[in-house]
Amino acid sequence: MASIAASMMKIWPFGTIRSLTLTTLGASALWAPMAMAQAAGAQAQSQPKEVNVYSGRHYNTDKVLYAEFTRRTGIRVNLLEGKDDELIQRLKSEGSGSKADLLVLVDAARLVRAQQENLFRPISSRELNKDVPANLRDPGGRWYALTRRARPVMVNTTLVNPRLIRTYADLARPELKGKLCLRNRASVYNQSLVADELVRRGTQSTQLWLRGLVANNQQPLFTSDTPMLRAVGQGQCGVTLANQYYLARLLQGDNSADRALAQKVRVVWPNPTHVNVTAGGVTRSSRNPDGARRLLEFLASPTSGEGYAEANNEYPLRGWGNNPTLRSFGTFKASPVSMEKLGQRNREAVQLMTQAGWN
Amino acid sequence: MICLLALLPLLNLFRQALLSGEAAPLALGLNGADQIRGTLVLVLGEGVSGAVLGTAIGWLTAMCRFPGRRWLRIAQLLPLAVPAYLLAASLIDWGSYHGLRIHGIGWTIALMTLANYSYVVLLSTESFGISGRRLLEASRSLGVGPWLSFFRVALPIALPAVGAGVALSAMEVVNELGAVRLLGVPSLSAGILDRWQVDGDPRGAALLSLVALAIVGVLIAAERQLRQRSRRWSLSGSSQQEPLWVLQGWRAGLALLVCTVPPLAALLIPGLWVLEGWQNLSTDAFGELLPLAARSLGLALAATGITLAAALLLAVVRRWCPRPALQQLSFVAGLGYAVPGSVLALGLVILGGPLALSPLLLLLWGYGDRFLAVSKQGLDAAFERLPPSVDEAAISLGQSWRGVLHRVHLPLLRGPLLVGGLLVFVDVVKELPLTLSLRPFDFDTLAVRVFQYASDERVGAAMAPALLILLFGLIAAVALIPSLERR
Repeated sequence: MASIAASMMKIWPFGTIRSLTLTTLGASALWAPMAMAQAAGAQAQSQPKEVNVYSGRHYNTDKVLYAEFTRRTGIRVNLLEGKDDELIQRLKSEGSGSKADLLVLVDAARLVRAQQENLFRPISSRELNKDVPANLRDPGGRWYALTRRARPVMVNTTLVNPRLIRTYADLARPELKGKLCLRNRASVYNQSLVADELVRRGTQSTQLWLRGLVANNQQPLFTSDTPMLRAVGQGQCGVTLANQYYLARLLQGDNSADRALAQKVRVVWPNPTHVNVTAGGVTRSSRNPDGARRLLEFLASPTSGEGYAEANNEYPLRGWGNNPTLRSFGTFKASPVSMEKLGQRNREAVQLMTQAGWN
Repeated sequence: MICLLALLPLLNLFRQALLSGEAAPLALGLNGADQIRGTLVLVLGEGVSGAVLGTAIGWLTAMCRFPGRRWLRIAQLLPLAVPAYLLAASLIDWGSYHGLRIHGIGWTIALMTLANYSYVVLLSTESFGISGRRLLEASRSLGVGPWLSFFRVALPIALPAVGAGVALSAMEVVNELGAVRLLGVPSLSAGILDRWQVDGDPRGAALLSLVALAIVGVLIAAERQLRQRSRRWSLSGSSQQEPLWVLQGWRAGLALLVCTVPPLAALLIPGLWVLEGWQNLSTDAFGELLPLAARSLGLALAATGITLAAALLLAVVRRWCPRPALQQLSFVAGLGYAVPGSVLALGLVILGGPLALSPLLLLLWGYGDRFLAVSKQGLDAAFERLPPSVDEAAISLGQSWRGVLHRVHLPLLRGPLLVGGLLVFVDVVKELPLTLSLRPFDFDTLAVRVFQYASDERVGAAMAPALLILLFGLIAAVALIPSLERR
């Protein structure tokens, strides 16, 4: 290393290019101590009074909950928010050196993927077993759901009679040809919904159903839910599949045009309705598994869990919560399929979607 | 050393990917062919339209006089400040209010052209301004009109610079992730990430990365070929300022239109969106804007310093030791630009883990690796126009090599250095995948926030940080005015 530094000094005459890089080097010089402080901070993170969270959620209200946890327990929460797939990959690459204690992910398939990568450590907690219904947690205690989200059918009643739709299977009815809009295959919400059908109805029915869906959808696939809901409100589409919180958000927003569009969209609950989760688990590499478990228990408890769900217009683990917008949507019968099963059938679901031409 | 630093994460990554022992057969996968086709069509479409638009604007603003020319010249920098993913997200959102579907390859090419044509303008303007003038004056004195002068004289001279600009913008296109995903176009960058992260198939991802690398390799090689074919020395940059041709009447109007529409569109797309959705503007996130902005700014400044220093070193070494091996190495060092940011990030994570490097150091390393090509491209082109006789004269006058660098090269290369620095600065402020994957705990930046909010489809919350990114870009562009004007 020393010889490299010496040769660097030879070919990199700091003095002579001073005039050029004065400002930028100055900035770097300012930066270096910060970087070192950061490194020192990283060292200190092994102290048990901290819990490091990798989270796929990005809500400022989450931070209020974390602060409340710190107030109650004295355990500081350090947060790194990112995209779920990226966090899984990062944790995997960091291996046993990772500083993360708790991994919070959205969607069943990702949870199972992280579990298969052996990123979680099993924990046993009477509180978690009490607060989290059995189909919403890993039987091995590696992850526990924190909130629920549903993917119902959304209908523009001037174009489509809501009575036509009692199950997801009805979306393949020929009467809906040209009226159905869909988000693309890359959406994990659609993947998990198809996995749900796959578990409940078997491969062959699902294949047929998917072909019907693709035939009914005659527009380019959407890449996000919100523009799709606007299209339903505007009458470009008659019916679609979207997570409930996107509609709730439009209804609660300050934008009057959005509210007017959203009011034209009606939620139709298929029986049963597909449900997905946000869930968390203590990481394999955690240096403070006890603190991480306590944070998990705190987030899953009915009182604070409601806050976690509220942030994104999601449903708590049991019941329907007190969110007035969600209450106005009515109630539904949730699919009994466990998150674990959804995750396990994900790959198959994606293959079937690809074969059916759902791009 | 720099090359080694630049290449280490990538080599290590490929080694890991290919030796990972998984027996999966090496195949492009279900969508591989679509993704390659998508990226190729995008690169071609954007390359052609960007070259035409950028060269036309570069020529008009450098060589012709029409009302507003001076301002419009600076305005061409504005699109650089607007991240492509922000353009795509705001246009899609705005369109969905009005029942307009923004979707597919055509829109993507249009948006990518808008986001990247400035590279061509910047580099071609410089070339028209510096090297072409004397020859153009000569051709003019021989009675050749502006069109012929442009095609016979100016264009051949500017071709290397145009090529360099197109190569830069095409690399941005190969790498673009957010915008192409939002617009529903299959692309290599998305394919690489999905193969790696979702399918758990690092070998497949490495294979797709190699395809992306090959595309960029071709781009860089083509640009170098062009440059070598039309190498000319020139020093006459600062001789005079006045444009050669005065445009009047409809010609001036047309020139005005061509030069106004793109920068205006780049501002209006997010601008209209903010204007229509201002009711959605979320104020509860205002408190975090200051730390977010400070981090973005600090990272961008530090990365600019590192990258410029590295690029200058490489360019100087290339000039003074014209050994082929060194030339190749310096070429290869720029390849970091070609690799999708998220792949580079993974390489750095794998490399940095065992070394226990601070995440911030890794992040700066990543920025340096990724954006070296941006500052190098303009610098190399400028160095090539500088006749070797300048160095020889300086040395014969008793200057040491340091003296030559300090008293000859740096003053002469101020322009390209500033331009390179600005591009890196703006790129880092916009940069997403590296920052997202490598930042430490509680260290979000503006771009990270915009992306997180936008990917949650919470457009209102994304607005304030997005506006700040725009503001930084504008400030950087304004900072460049004196240097552009002096020339």
